[in-house]
Amino acid sequence: MNEELYITFENYFNNEMSQEEQLEFENQLQNDDDIRQKFEIYKETNAFLKTKFSYETLAFKQNLEAISKEHFAEKEHKKTNVIAFKPWQYAVAASIAILFGTWFYMQNNIPQYGDYSTPETAMFVERSVGDVNLKEAQNAFNTKEYKKAVASFEKVTDLKSPELQYFYAISLIETNNYLKAEILLKNIKSGTSVYKDKATWYLALSNLKQKKLEKCISYLKQLPADAEDYDKAQKLLKKID
Amino acid sequence: MNDKNIHPDQIYIDGLLQNNSNIIQSIYKKFAPKVKNYIRTNSGDDDQAQDVIQEVLITIYNQAKTNGLQLTCPFDAYFFLLCKRRWLNELKKSSNKEVTLMEENVSIDESVQEMTFQAEFFDEKQYLFDEMFQKLGEKCQEVLKLSFLTKTMEEVAEKLNVTYGYVRKKKSLCTGQLTEMIQQSNRYKSLKY
Repeated sequence: MNEELYITFENYFNNEMSQEEQLEFENQLQNDDDIRQKFEIYKETNAFLKTKFSYETLAFKQNLEAISKEHFAEKEHKKTNVIAFKPWQYAVAASIAILFGTWFYMQNNIPQYGDYSTPETAMFVERSVGDVNLKEAQNAFNTKEYKKAVASFEKVTDLKSPELQYFYAISLIETNNYLKAEILLKNIKSGTSVYKDKATWYLALSNLKQKKLEKCISYLKQLPADAEDYDKAQKLLKKID
Repeated sequence: MNDKNIHPDQIYIDGLLQNNSNIIQSIYKKFAPKVKNYIRTNSGDDDQAQDVIQEVLITIYNQAKTNGLQLTCPFDAYFFLLCKRRWLNELKKSSNKEVTLMEENVSIDESVQEMTFQAEFFDEKQYLFDEMFQKLGEKCQEVLKLSFLTKTMEEVAEKLNVTYGYVRKKKSLCTGQLTEMIQQSNRYKSLKY
């Protein structure tokens, strides 16, 4: 394999060539069929990898899977018809209703997501320049219009920064879009940004909101003692237990 | 491509690309029942219909994300034909099963056909790329994966505990290796020419 050739390709893609080098390379492309074909495949390979390894693609696949499952499960439910009740069944139904009532009452003692989620003000667009959608997302977020924020975030082309992903994820949790939110948060959590511990805290809160208490507890326990939300996490842990 | 009229159903393509849950849900609601019905009456069941629909939507998404996709025909016809052809392929693969086909004699619009072939061509290529990627060494796979999932190459270098220069070089060489594997494969030759 001609190693130099591929290093040249990469330099060309990244605009890291002098004008002279660039001219020479483009000349080569025109005159050498094999190099041109390799260059085309290299370009395609790059595009293919970019789609394959993107958080957006991962999020799409997870979301699709969830919607698909929901759709096909719904249809099965509709098949079960209404069955006429016999008198003794009313008694059973009544006791079940009481049981549910008690269960709901107990549920109320479980701490709620809203009591703990106090997101900071988003300030990712400080200067007047930048993506319009980002500015809209920021404004909607700060006025707690999370649906609007999600819609704006969806339009932003570059969502790679952990800060943006963090605020996007909170908006998603607020609009019950947990799957996507948690993919983003897990990504931040495994990184090294300042939002690392914040992401863990919101992973716990996302699970709290979905009443997945075991998962919530496990995330709370992962917060290091120097994390900003450590004290709140300890209080929440006590309440759940 | 640009001169052709884009069909208003492009909203479904854009919705998939933007991972817009409302639009994905409406695709299921509006277009899935017909596919389910077709697969059920042609030796399949709901689980198989679920898989076919999901795979076709992923193909459409990948195509839109990688090359951009401009719909020039109704989404309904496009989506149904893709699902149908994918299901027929499945049946062919497991041809020991007895196949009874309920073939309706509807003539297919030219632009639907063209869009469908385009999607299938893309899908085959995607399959080839995927297969070749799996054949790369572990290190190459890791470097490539990280260099696309991580913001900067500096961060990739940090994660892998190597220098920036090494990671840069490794990325181009691994993509180069993938390029040559694809170029030399018979399937690429038959796809391209």
